[in-house]
Amino acid sequence: MSAVLTRYETTWPNVEAVAQAHIGEGPLWLRNLRSRGLRVFQELGIPTPKVEEWKYTPLRDIAERKWELAEPGPAWFEPALPSFVEGAVRIVLVNGRFDANLSDFPRLPGLTVSPIREALTDDANPVSAVLGTIARIEKHPFGALATALFEDGVYVHLATGSVIESLIEIVHVTSGEGGVCAPRVLIVAEKDSVAKIVEVYVTDGAADSLTLPVTEVIVERGANLEHVRVQDEATTNAHIALWETRQAEGSEYRSYNVAFGGRLARTDQGIDLQGEHCITRLDGVVAATGNQLIDNHTRLDHALPNCNSFEIYKQVIDDEATVVFNGQIFVHAHAQKTDAKQTNQALLMSPKATINSKPQLEIFADDVKCTHGATVGQLEDLPLFYMRQRGIPQEMAESLLVYAFAAEVLELISVDEVKRDLEARLDRKLGTEPLR
Amino acid sequence: MLEIRNLHARVEEKEILRGIDLTVRPGEVHAIMGPNGSGKSTLANVLAGREDYEVTDGTIQLEGEDLLEMEPDARAHAGVFLAFQYPVEIPGVSNVYFLRSALNAIRKARGEEEMDSMKFMAYIREKIKLLGLKDELLQRSVNEGFSGGEKKRNEIFQMAVLEPRLCVLDETDSGLDIDALQTVAHGVNSLRSADRGFVVVTHYQRLLNFIVPDYVHVMVDGRLVKSGGKELALELEEKGYGWIEAEVAAQA
Repeated sequence: MSAVLTRYETTWPNVEAVAQAHIGEGPLWLRNLRSRGLRVFQELGIPTPKVEEWKYTPLRDIAERKWELAEPGPAWFEPALPSFVEGAVRIVLVNGRFDANLSDFPRLPGLTVSPIREALTDDANPVSAVLGTIARIEKHPFGALATALFEDGVYVHLATGSVIESLIEIVHVTSGEGGVCAPRVLIVAEKDSVAKIVEVYVTDGAADSLTLPVTEVIVERGANLEHVRVQDEATTNAHIALWETRQAEGSEYRSYNVAFGGRLARTDQGIDLQGEHCITRLDGVVAATGNQLIDNHTRLDHALPNCNSFEIYKQVIDDEATVVFNGQIFVHAHAQKTDAKQTNQALLMSPKATINSKPQLEIFADDVKCTHGATVGQLEDLPLFYMRQRGIPQEMAESLLVYAFAAEVLELISVDEVKRDLEARLDRKLGTEPLR
Repeated sequence: MLEIRNLHARVEEKEILRGIDLTVRPGEVHAIMGPNGSGKSTLANVLAGREDYEVTDGTIQLEGEDLLEMEPDARAHAGVFLAFQYPVEIPGVSNVYFLRSALNAIRKARGEEEMDSMKFMAYIREKIKLLGLKDELLQRSVNEGFSGGEKKRNEIFQMAVLEPRLCVLDETDSGLDIDALQTVAHGVNSLRSADRGFVVVTHYQRLLNFIVPDYVHVMVDGRLVKSGGKELALELEEKGYGWIEAEVAAQA
């Protein structure tokens, strides 16, 4: 037998048993959704590096471990969970479960926040119509498994024309050892609504679990959404996420993928532009140290004409860490006048740091502007010398330059408190002096 | 304050400085002139501690301390300032933030209190006027998108803010029109004081009309071959470097 091994020959009996039991529960739409998830997971299995899409994501350790479904987490946390803005709409999910006590959301006109579990009991609710329709789980075994396993999550709905001034904070905490948790987020921004959302993933101390988030976002006609996703879990935890967005005509979606945490962390972000005149940002700031592996796969699908997309990835890699970037941009045959720009840059801070970067543009229309650029570099000697000549110590000069490198993306985030929090996280992450 | 003895330095395998002796006392302005490639800029960079240059022999002392033992930032703390021939662009770091970090690092190293943002802004307002720089340049990234003249003025502005003991100017006049040159010279002259020394590296005599030196040294082939007062610069302007090179060749 010399067949190429595309999946690890392991099973997760305890987790799959839970999923199997789930299939018999709840309304029909839910049973269908979950069984679709389980079927895909069982068909795909845990991919080996022989599968192109998972080539640089080493999953053997994860595949060979006997996972359980995560227990409910604790009711309070020390140190306190991250928060960005006072008076924000605050949603906390612990091990994927909506925690009403830790959450705090005033009633705001046009905004509905509800636990997804409330929608799992009947057929006639808005969640049932859209949940699972955005995430492309067919190629993503973990998104599929999460779809089979999820029991709760949060549904955020912005009514037509509503403008939510308050920041919406969604805090995800993973707690415990050996548990799989499947936090689920569904965001629906109706026509012409406006909001800013920050989603942050952290762990309760040195958790050693597997977080499998699935976030689905629908941005309807003319809606305007800023979505910052911060993954800053402990470097003992594993995190494999699926994040998918669908944009309608004239909508604007600015997304920022900030990935600092996880021993192994992978995020697959996809955006489908299904209307004309969309504006899209999918930017990333990555900082990897120690033995971390942080892998980001992005997919932008230009299906219709006259859309503009911008993608900038800034990746700082130190020690023996590895970062993977794979950026797909599809421009379909009738997506004329598409303007798509992609840049991905890596800054290697140590001789053993690794970047695997793969821009992947597939363009079938002929009247488009599509550019991409990838650079890999180190801190340059001359700016360092210049700063040191002015008296700035080496370490501070390095951290200023690293910050300046990441700032091109961080500066785009419109909520100052979020920006400053991320700067502080970056400083802590890289062990540099707080400068600002 | 500055004592250079028998200084030899090379870049990769090429020996550039071949035995420099120079003494600068507080309050003095020394001009180093010479043809292209004679080693003038190398001397400036060696003083600042640029790592591309390897010192193979000799000593440099500043106020009795061994400069060659110090890292570039420690030299800055000790009072060495190099105005770069090609000021470096640092995208993403604002000029004002950069300068405050530098000033506070120096103050900290000297055991002085750091300056908060308010005090700092008040302190630099005066200095920036001196160089005729627009306030908006403070918020821009260091040297990014600055014109050639703005870059050079920015160097002298930084010098005015950091108040070094030893100012080394590397071809500060290159690329400046006459107005900018006068502004830069005015900035430098306003910093002249009894306890501050200057080493001014220049190819042309022009700058020395405005920054009048106490001594002029001519560097040829990595050595200071001739020294004199400010009139030596005028002689060089008139006759070029050829006659000195010929003199040196005749002695060899």
